[in-house]
Amino acid sequence: MRIVKRKQIVCTLLALLLVSLVAGCGPAPTPTATPVPEEPTPTPPPVTLTLPGDDWGYPSPFARYPRGPGYIQMSFLFDTLAWKDEEGVIPWLADDWEASEDGAKWTFKLHEGVKWHDGKPFTAEDVAFTFDYLKEHIASWFEALKEQIEKVEVKDEHTVVVYLTKPAADFLADIAGAMPILPKHIWESVEDPKKFTGPEAVIGTGPFKLAEYSKEEGRYVYEANPDFFKGKPAVDCLVYTKVSDAALALKTGTVDAAFFWGKEIEAVKELEPEPNLEAIEGPSFWVLKLIFNVGRPPFDKVEFRRAIAHAVDRSKIVEQVTHGGAIVANLGIVYPGTSWYNPELPAYEYDPAKAREILDELGLGEVSLTLLTTGGFAREAELIKADLEEVGIEVEVKSADWGTVDGLLKEGNFDLAISGHGGIAQLHIMRSPTWPATVYKNEEYDRLFEEQERTMDEEKRRNLVLRLQEVIAEDLPVLTLYHPKMWCVYDPAKLDTWFYTKGGVSIGIPIPHNKLVFLER
Amino acid sequence: MRVAQYLITMSIVLSLNFFLPRMMPGDPLSYLTGDPTADMPVAISEEVRERLLVYYGLNEPLIKQYTDYLINLAHGNLGWSIYYNAPVSSVLLGRLKWTLLLMGTATVVYVALGILLGALSAWKRGTKTDIGLLLSVFSFGSWPPFFLAMLLIILFSVKLGAFPIGGAQSPTGSHAGGLKLAIEVTYHLFLPSLALVLTHLSGVYFLTRNSMLGVLGEDYIRTARTKGLRERDVLLKHALPNALLPIVTMIAMRFGFMIMGTMFVEVVFAYPGMGSLIYQACTTRDYPMLQGAFLLIMLFVMFFNLAADLLYARLDPRVRRA
Amino acid sequence: MSRLLEAIRGQKLALVGLAMLALFGFLAALAPSLSPHDPEEMYTPMLPPTQLHPLGTNDIGQDIFSELLYGARFSLLIGFLSAATSMAIGLCLGLISGYCDGLGFAIMRVVDVFLAIPRFPLIILMAAFLRPGFRTLVFFFVLFGWPRATRLVRSWILTERNREYVDAARMIGASDLRILSHHLLPSAIPITLVRFIMEFQHVILAESGLSFLGMGDPTAKSWGTILHYAFEYPTIFISDVWVRWVVPPGACITLVVLALTLVGFSLEEWANPRLNRAWRRT
Repeated sequence: MRIVKRKQIVCTLLALLLVSLVAGCGPAPTPTATPVPEEPTPTPPPVTLTLPGDDWGYPSPFARYPRGPGYIQMSFLFDTLAWKDEEGVIPWLADDWEASEDGAKWTFKLHEGVKWHDGKPFTAEDVAFTFDYLKEHIASWFEALKEQIEKVEVKDEHTVVVYLTKPAADFLADIAGAMPILPKHIWESVEDPKKFTGPEAVIGTGPFKLAEYSKEEGRYVYEANPDFFKGKPAVDCLVYTKVSDAALALKTGTVDAAFFWGKEIEAVKELEPEPNLEAIEGPSFWVLKLIFNVGRPPFDKVEFRRAIAHAVDRSKIVEQVTHGGAIVANLGIVYPGTSWYNPELPAYEYDPAKAREILDELGLGEVSLTLLTTGGFAREAELIKADLEEVGIEVEVKSADWGTVDGLLKEGNFDLAISGHGGIAQLHIMRSPTWPATVYKNEEYDRLFEEQERTMDEEKRRNLVLRLQEVIAEDLPVLTLYHPKMWCVYDPAKLDTWFYTKGGVSIGIPIPHNKLVFLER
Repeated sequence: MRVAQYLITMSIVLSLNFFLPRMMPGDPLSYLTGDPTADMPVAISEEVRERLLVYYGLNEPLIKQYTDYLINLAHGNLGWSIYYNAPVSSVLLGRLKWTLLLMGTATVVYVALGILLGALSAWKRGTKTDIGLLLSVFSFGSWPPFFLAMLLIILFSVKLGAFPIGGAQSPTGSHAGGLKLAIEVTYHLFLPSLALVLTHLSGVYFLTRNSMLGVLGEDYIRTARTKGLRERDVLLKHALPNALLPIVTMIAMRFGFMIMGTMFVEVVFAYPGMGSLIYQACTTRDYPMLQGAFLLIMLFVMFFNLAADLLYARLDPRVRRA
Repeated sequence: MSRLLEAIRGQKLALVGLAMLALFGFLAALAPSLSPHDPEEMYTPMLPPTQLHPLGTNDIGQDIFSELLYGARFSLLIGFLSAATSMAIGLCLGLISGYCDGLGFAIMRVVDVFLAIPRFPLIILMAAFLRPGFRTLVFFFVLFGWPRATRLVRSWILTERNREYVDAARMIGASDLRILSHHLLPSAIPITLVRFIMEFQHVILAESGLSFLGMGDPTAKSWGTILHYAFEYPTIFISDVWVRWVVPPGACITLVVLALTLVGFSLEEWANPRLNRAWRRT
């Protein structure tokens, strides 16, 4: 009686709660999304493209999560001075540019008639303002600007001159090709850009406007900007959404393309034969490394490191673990096929007998090591462990999450570690070949690295970089394992303009989400 | 006395939730600069690192961070999430609504179903119905939730194509209006809640059955039967209400803990709930987020425990008199 | 004791449960001799089922059937050890805290704190600072198991200590220690046993869950890790590989847990006499 009534009341309340929750899940789940757009005119039907994604932060230049995909999302809304397509650098917001002899002064001629999403005109003032603003404010991820830029001048409404403190060979790639231009009239009054997440924070010059962003569902909905200075995009509505399994989503038609790399080659093999799907391959600019703690014995002996290089069967790892989804890595880290690549490096053949010989010569006796890895590379760790045990080295695999591994590596508290990273289309990450650990100290290497950063002459620079790779291959502070390959599997009926950008999008992001893909080409 | 106890527990939990995550190696910046196993890392210089630490208040002594946290909490400010770059409260709210929807629906269903089936089983003890129910409910309860979730997706979403493969709404989701949205959300809700209901049913079922059996053996039931009351009235008006008393505590606990979401179902179905939030906040060392999430859980659990205690006191005349 | 045997014999369900457990126990114990290969040995990856590999091979070429057998060892062992240790601690502490109020209050506060510890940060901490492997996992489960056991025993003792036979024992001069060891301890055995079964089952599910998420020891051979790598496999939802890779370990976990549930359920009927009363009357 009393209880039954109570149950009824509770049930009704819960039902009400349910209904109100569902009804309340209307548009704009976060306070930052802009209102629902109106229906486009009836003919032709709007082209909607749905792609698998995740939450990479609110796509303003400061609120986005700093990694590659976060940048990509932001790049749909904001433009840079220069950009890249499958061939190389192309003009973008800047029609033309000129560098002085010494490389310390750059003049940019800006495209005319460009408008911000809110209709205001884009001028050189905005460019100059952006340089200054990004220098000052934290987490712009362009902190290098502080050291590199001396001053920026506005010559006239469409001309900007940038003075560098010293010549930077990568200025065009790193800055001009990567820095998003901000609208001065909006950002000049913003004190804390990281917390600025209103609809004004996403006003750019880009081909798309942000219609909706849902953090928990990892969903971005963009609508085309009809006034985009390169013409209206071919895609009217671009949607990114989180899916638990991209291959499944592609197969069921929930998404119109899916992206795979490395071990996921199996999905590509499974999906490619489908009549309505096609696949293209591209470079991942990513490398998996076996990092030696060079500061800790017995790793301080280069012979020991070389013995391990002979003991580990890298092609077996590629076959057994990635099933052909990767290529054996360049010992010098630089991605094969790029202009910096050095094809003539010393090799360490898989030869357990030789490894044992070297170990015996070193006279180390029983060696027992821990191999640190994140869960994702436990398989590789198993193979390396088996290989090392073949030559008499005991290995204990310790698996932890990335935060722990990163912490331990930075502290230098490890023996062997498996860790990988992207960004090897460019050279910045190679400042420390054992990144994120900093256990390797080699004066020649540091000198070479620093010199190539300043060298404007392509030929000279290339020679320096070739030598850098030789040093790594000879000294072996790391044993690179493999470079994964990358694929885009897509439904050509929805969109077939996919391509892989030369050297990666902007700062070297390997995924094919270049905004050019969505424009009429 | 009870209030004091709650306050002590609360302060211990608050402190635990503050200090424990900070004991994990690595810091929020490791994740900010990227888990390079996914893509490009952002290599930042020492100077930038220092500036970021200052910006987030992470370079201050731990005690000061702790007191700042408590002061902010007193003002109702849960802080700013380092990884999500948004106020902790807004991220929590965004996830909470989906968790309440999923877990709420599932909890209501399996509690109601568990009680009904448990009572039925007790009434028909020893018969085929009882054994049948026992076996089937226990069987489903033995499935690991992620296994059941995977099979449900494979069978119903992939093979039969009857249900979506995951997510809370369809990608071009909330552009639809009220009713269409409700239908879509329910559609996406079906499989995950089915998985939850099936795996959680056995607990409530079992307890109800036992409690009911205990009650059915009591004298007053025999009296009611000899008085000539219909069996149905005996069950529903006398036996069941009394059998439910001990279960109130358990049900309240279930409701309390439901806010933690459920990792496995959320991962397999890509459902945006509190479970995956906590997991992600842990791996990204997002201290403010973890503190906020655990605080929310603690409040929820305590609320329901308190409610259960009070309800129990009200409902059981024996306790009231004592 | 005879009541226990009678209850078990009478309950067909319990027999079924015990039979299943015995089967898995047998398989687990004899895993090294029964499995056709060393589960760590790597052959060609993703082979379909053949005579040589009854369930085929996994993503790095290990024989799934052998993994399954060794997985039985791991899961059963970890469940048993964790549950037994938790129960042992719980029994001791529960007895003490149920009987002595002062000590009891302190112990229960410690229990409260342990119950409030969030699991994920703790397991990350443990993975970071402790050596990986079996012992660490057992430690983790015992950490969360002993508070529940203690609470249960304590509430039982709280009611039992007021019963007449305890008063009687005290009246004839039995010391506290004697009361605890000769009267209260034996009275708590039935519910402890039931709780042990439930904890055993709980640990098996929890371990498989943790391994599935990749938070256990990924190089260990447990049913959970098999499912973990299966779930990570890129074509798991778009091909039929799941039939031989997902179903067997999942079914094993389900069956063992079911077996334990059946046994536990029957034991509960024995341990809780009130339930029998209703049955006897009808």
